[in-house]
Amino acid sequence: MNAFWLFLVVLIPCVGGVVTPLIRWKKRIYCMLYLESLVIFNSILVWLLLVFRPQEAFTLVNFTGNLAIAFQLDGLGTIFAGLVSFLWPFATLYAFEYMTKEKHERTFFMFYTATYGVTLGIALADNFLTMYCFYELLTLVTLPLVMHTLTREAILASRKYLYYSIGGAAFAFIGMIFVITYGETSEFILGGVLDAAKLGGGKNLFLFIYVLSFFGFGVKAAICPLNSWLPEAGVAPTPVTALLHAVAVVKSGAFAIMRLTFYCFGAEFLRGTWAQHLLLLVILFTIVYGCSMALRETHLKRRLAFSTISNLSYILFGVALMTPLGLVGALSHMVFHAFMKISSFFCAGAIMHQTDRHYIHQLDGMARKMPKVFAIFTLSSFALMGAPGLCGFISKWNLASAAIESGGLLSYFGVAALLLSALLTAMYMLNIVIRAYFPKTDFDFSSIADVKDPNWMMLLPLFVFAVGIVGFGLGSAPVTALFTAVAQGSF
Amino acid sequence: MEGLFLAVILVPLSGALAAYLADRKGRAALRDLSAAFTGIAEFLLMCGLAFYGMGSELYIPEICGMGLRFTLDGFRSVYGLTAAFMWMMTLLFSAEYLAHETRTGRYYFFQLVTLSATMGVFLSADLFTTFLFFEVMSFTSYVWVAQEETEGALKAAGTYLAVAVIGGMTLLMGLFLLYHALGTLVIAELLPAAAACTEKGMLYIAGCLTLVGFGAKAGAFPLHIWLPKAHPVAPAPASALLSGILTKAGVFGILAVSCNLFLHDAVWGLFLLGIGLCTMFGGALLAVFSVDLKRTLACSSMSQIGFIIIGIGMQGILGEENALAARGTLLHMVNHSLIKLTLFMIAGVVVMQIHKLNLNEIRGFGRKKPLLKICFLSGALGISGIPFMNGYVSKTLLHESIVEGIASAGALTGFLKMSEWIFLISGGMTLAYMTKLYVAVFVEENQDKKAQEAFDRQTHYLRPASAFAIAGSAAVLPALGVLPHLTSDRIADLGQGFMHVEGPVHSVSYFNLSNLKGGLISIAIGIALYAGIRTFLMKKENGITIYKDSWPKWWDLETLLYRPLLLSVLPFIAGVLCRILDSLVDWMILALRKTIYRDRKIPHELAEGSEFTHLLGATLDLLRRIKRKILRQPQPEREVSYEHRLALWREKFIETNAIIQRSLSFGLLLFYVGLVFTLIYLLYLGRS
Repeated sequence: MNAFWLFLVVLIPCVGGVVTPLIRWKKRIYCMLYLESLVIFNSILVWLLLVFRPQEAFTLVNFTGNLAIAFQLDGLGTIFAGLVSFLWPFATLYAFEYMTKEKHERTFFMFYTATYGVTLGIALADNFLTMYCFYELLTLVTLPLVMHTLTREAILASRKYLYYSIGGAAFAFIGMIFVITYGETSEFILGGVLDAAKLGGGKNLFLFIYVLSFFGFGVKAAICPLNSWLPEAGVAPTPVTALLHAVAVVKSGAFAIMRLTFYCFGAEFLRGTWAQHLLLLVILFTIVYGCSMALRETHLKRRLAFSTISNLSYILFGVALMTPLGLVGALSHMVFHAFMKISSFFCAGAIMHQTDRHYIHQLDGMARKMPKVFAIFTLSSFALMGAPGLCGFISKWNLASAAIESGGLLSYFGVAALLLSALLTAMYMLNIVIRAYFPKTDFDFSSIADVKDPNWMMLLPLFVFAVGIVGFGLGSAPVTALFTAVAQGSF
Repeated sequence: MEGLFLAVILVPLSGALAAYLADRKGRAALRDLSAAFTGIAEFLLMCGLAFYGMGSELYIPEICGMGLRFTLDGFRSVYGLTAAFMWMMTLLFSAEYLAHETRTGRYYFFQLVTLSATMGVFLSADLFTTFLFFEVMSFTSYVWVAQEETEGALKAAGTYLAVAVIGGMTLLMGLFLLYHALGTLVIAELLPAAAACTEKGMLYIAGCLTLVGFGAKAGAFPLHIWLPKAHPVAPAPASALLSGILTKAGVFGILAVSCNLFLHDAVWGLFLLGIGLCTMFGGALLAVFSVDLKRTLACSSMSQIGFIIIGIGMQGILGEENALAARGTLLHMVNHSLIKLTLFMIAGVVVMQIHKLNLNEIRGFGRKKPLLKICFLSGALGISGIPFMNGYVSKTLLHESIVEGIASAGALTGFLKMSEWIFLISGGMTLAYMTKLYVAVFVEENQDKKAQEAFDRQTHYLRPASAFAIAGSAAVLPALGVLPHLTSDRIADLGQGFMHVEGPVHSVSYFNLSNLKGGLISIAIGIALYAGIRTFLMKKENGITIYKDSWPKWWDLETLLYRPLLLSVLPFIAGVLCRILDSLVDWMILALRKTIYRDRKIPHELAEGSEFTHLLGATLDLLRRIKRKILRQPQPEREVSYEHRLALWREKFIETNAIIQRSLSFGLLLFYVGLVFTLIYLLYLGRS
C-alpha cells in the first residue's frame, strides 16, 4: 500500500473524533454506531497496512535538514500498532455501555477516539521528532479524559498527570536534541544512530543524557519514583483507566524507551555501562515496589494501577537488559500484559458499573452473582501471576531466560525480583478472587441479591481478551517468532 | 501410543466438564455416574498404557512456550497406575460421601481436573512439563481444601495456597538456573548434562531451590505447616488423595532431581537424610499427641514422607551400592499411598455418619462393624510395619539400607547409628498412634451409652460401591506384604531404571532373623510407647478416661514464625521504604512550590482604614498602652482603639468628601474660584 495511508490512519480517528460533538445526533445509538464503525474501519486499515507493508516512509512536513514529521512502518511499530488497533474497537464497545452512567459523553468520546490516532502516531513515527510531538500530544488529549468527572480529586489528579508528563517530556526533549545533533540521522534504525566520529571522548555525558531521557519517557511508563500520577489517574472512567493507563499511554512510554534504547542510542553503546546498572537497579526496585504497594491498597482500581506499575517495569527490565532476547521478553510482556491488564480492569469496571462498589472488602461473595465476570477476572489474575499455560507465564519465562542468558549479578537479582513479584501478585490478586468465591460462612447473600452480570457489550470484549490470554499462553510460538524477528531486525 | 498419552491427560478433563454440566442441570445421578465412569476409564487407559506403551514418548512442540514432553518407564507406570487406582476408588466412594453436600459439581470438576494434572506430573519427561502440571495441580487442589467453606477450611486453604505459590515460584527459579546451567530440562538428559557441568555451585543452588518447591508439596520439614491443617478439613476422599498421591508428586520431583543431578552424591544425600529425619520424627510426634482421627492420619502422612525422604537420602550416601535404598523408597511410596487411601476413606465413613472426628466423640464407632474393623486393621498394621504386611517390606528395606550405610561409611557411622535409632523409634511411634486410633474407634466403648447404642444399631451404613472401594483398597495391602518376592519385588524392579540403580541387586529374604530384628525392636518400642500414651495422654474425668489434647496450641511453626514474618515484619519494612519513595517526588514538588515557585502574594487587604491610619493608630495605641504600664493606670472597660478611631475618621472624611464633590454647590464654588482666578489674572495683565 501507499505510504500515505500511514498518515491517514493517524488522521482519521483524530478528525473523526473531533467532529463528533459538532454533529447533532438524533439518538445516542447513531453516535455510537458512527464511532464504532469509525474505529473498526481504522483498525481494518491498520491491519491492511500491517499486511501490505509500505516500504518507504511518508514525509508530511520537512522543516530543515533532518527535522521532519514523517511516518513509516517497521517491526517495533508493527507490534505496537497491531496491539493498539486490536484492542481499541473492543474498548470502545465496552465504553459505550460503561458511559451510560456518566455525563458529558460526547466530549469523552471525542477525546477517546482522538487518542487512538495519536497513539498510532507514536507507533508509526519515523523519527524522534515525530514521536516526540505525538508523545506530547498524547498527554494533552488524554488530560480531559482524566479530568472527566470534574470532581475535586479528578482535577487534582489531572493536574498531577500534566505536571509529571510535561516535566518528563522536557527531559526527553534533551535526549532528542542530542540525538539529532550527534546522530547520523534522526530516523529510527535498529542498533542506534549515534555517530562515533562526532561523539569524541564524552561517553559519560551521553550516558548521562540517556539516563535523563530514559527517566523522561519513564514518567509515562510509571517508573519509581515518578509513578504517583498513575494510581491517582484512576479517578477517570474505567475505559480510560483500562485502555489508556494500562495499555496506550503507559505502553507508549515503554515503546518510546525501546526506541530510545535500541533505535537511537543503540544497545551496543549502552550495554555494561554504569547507566545500565543504575537503570536496572531502579527497575528492579519498581517491580517489587509496585507489587508491595498493590498489596497494601484496598481500592480495587488503585490496586490494579499499582500492579500496572510493577508490570511496566517488567517490560523496562527486558529493555534494560539491552540484548535482543531482552527485547523479545519486553515485547512479549508488552503485548501479553495489555491483554491481561485490560481484561482485569474491564472486570473491575464491570463490577463498579453493576454494583457501585469500589473497595475490595465489598466484593465478598460477588463471584456467585457475577460468574462470568469473575471467571475472567480469575483467569487474568492467574495470568498476571504467571501461572503456566497462560500468556503471563510465557512473557515471564522469556524475560527470565533473557536475564539469565545475559549474566551478571543484577540479572540474577532480576529473576529473583520477577519471582518475588509473582508471589506478591498471587497474594494481591488471589485475595480478591478468594474473597469473591469463598465469602465468610456468615455472609449475608441477600445484600447482593440483585447483582448480575453485565450485558453483552461489556462481556464480549472480556471474552475476546480471555481467549487471547489462553490462546497466547498455549500457542505462543508464532508471536514469539515474530518478536524474535523484530528484535534481530529481520522483520 | 501417542493417542493413549493424550487420552490419559484429556479424558479426565472431559469427564470433569461432563460432571460439572450434569450438576448444573440438577442431574445428580448422571453426575455421579459420569465421575465414577471417568475414574474407571482412566484406570483402564492407564493399564493399557502401562502394558503396551512402555518406553514410548510423546512430544508436543511449541505448546506453552517450551512444548510438552511425556514418556513412560517402569517408575512412571507404577505411579501412574497407583494414581489412577486411587482416583477410581475415591471417585466410587465420593458419590456417597458427597450425597448430602452442596456444590458437589464443583468438587467433582476440580477432582477430575487435578487427576489430569497429576497424571501429567507423573508422565512428564522434562521438568518444564512437570512444573506446568504441578502448578495446575496445586491450584485446582486448593478448591478441595476450601470445599466445605467453614472458617477453618478457608484458613487452612489459605495456608495451603500460600505454601503452594511460594513453593511454585521457588521451583521455577530453580528451573531457570538449571536450564541455564545445563541447557536442558529433559529428565533423561539431566544425568549426563550434570556430569559434564562445571559449575557445581550453581547446580547445588538450583537443586536446593527445586527441593524447596517439591518438598513443600511433599510436606517435608520445615514446609510441612499446611499438611496437618489442610488434610483434616478437606472432604475425606480428597484427604486420601492429598495425602496419598499429591505429596508423592512432590516426592517424584525430589527423586527426579536427586537421582539425576546428584546421583551418588553423599553431601546431597546427607542433607536429605537430615530433612527426612526431622520430617519423620516431627510428624510422628504430632500424630502421637493428636486426638483427632483425620489429623492423626495427616501427621502420620508427614512422618511417612520422612521415611521416604530418608530413603532418597540414603541413595546418595550409599553411592553405587544403593539398590536397597532405591527399592525401599519406591515401595514405601506405593505402600503409603495405598494405606492412606484405605484409612482416610474409613475416616470418611465416620464423618459421613456422625460428622465428628474427635477421638472422645467417635469412640466405639466401629465396635460392631466388622468390615471397617478388618480394613482399618489391615491399613494400621501395614503402616506400622508388622511382618507379613506391606509396610514391613518397605521399612525393612529402608532400615537395611541404613544398616548397610553404617557398615560401609567411615566418617558418618556415628550419625547413621543415631539415624537408625530415630528410625526405629519413629517406627515404634507409628505403631503407637495407630494402636491408639484402632483401640479408640474399634475396641473401646463410648462414654455416652446412648451414643454407643446408636453406633451399634447402624447396619446399613455403606452403599455397595463405597464398601467395594474400601474393601478393594484394603485387600491390596496384605497381598503386597505376604508374598513380597512375587509382588513387592516386582514393583521395586520397575522403579530401578528411573533411579539409576546400577549396583548388584541381591534378593532380600525379608523374614530371616536379622531382618526381623529391626522390625521387632520397633514393635517393642511401639508397645512401650502405647503404654506411655495410656498413662500420660489420657485423663480421668467423672470416672471415665478420655483422650486429652496435650499439644500446646501456640506451638505451631505457622503462627510462631511464618505468619508474623510474612504478614507483619517484612511488609512493615517494605512499607516504610515504599512510603518514603512514594512521596519523594511529591515532597520535591511541594518543596519547590514553597520555595522557588511560590505563588505571588495576594496583596494584604486591610479590613478598615488605610496603611497610614493603621500605622498611626497602632503607634498611638502602643504609646497609650506604654503610658498605662508606666503610670499603672487601669484599662477602662470600654475603650475604642486609636486604630479603629482613625479608620472611622478616615471613612467619614472620604464619605464627606464624596458628598461634597458630587453636590451642585461644590460645582458652583469651583466655578466661582475659577472666576476669581481669571479676574486676578486680568488685573495682573492690566497693571502691567
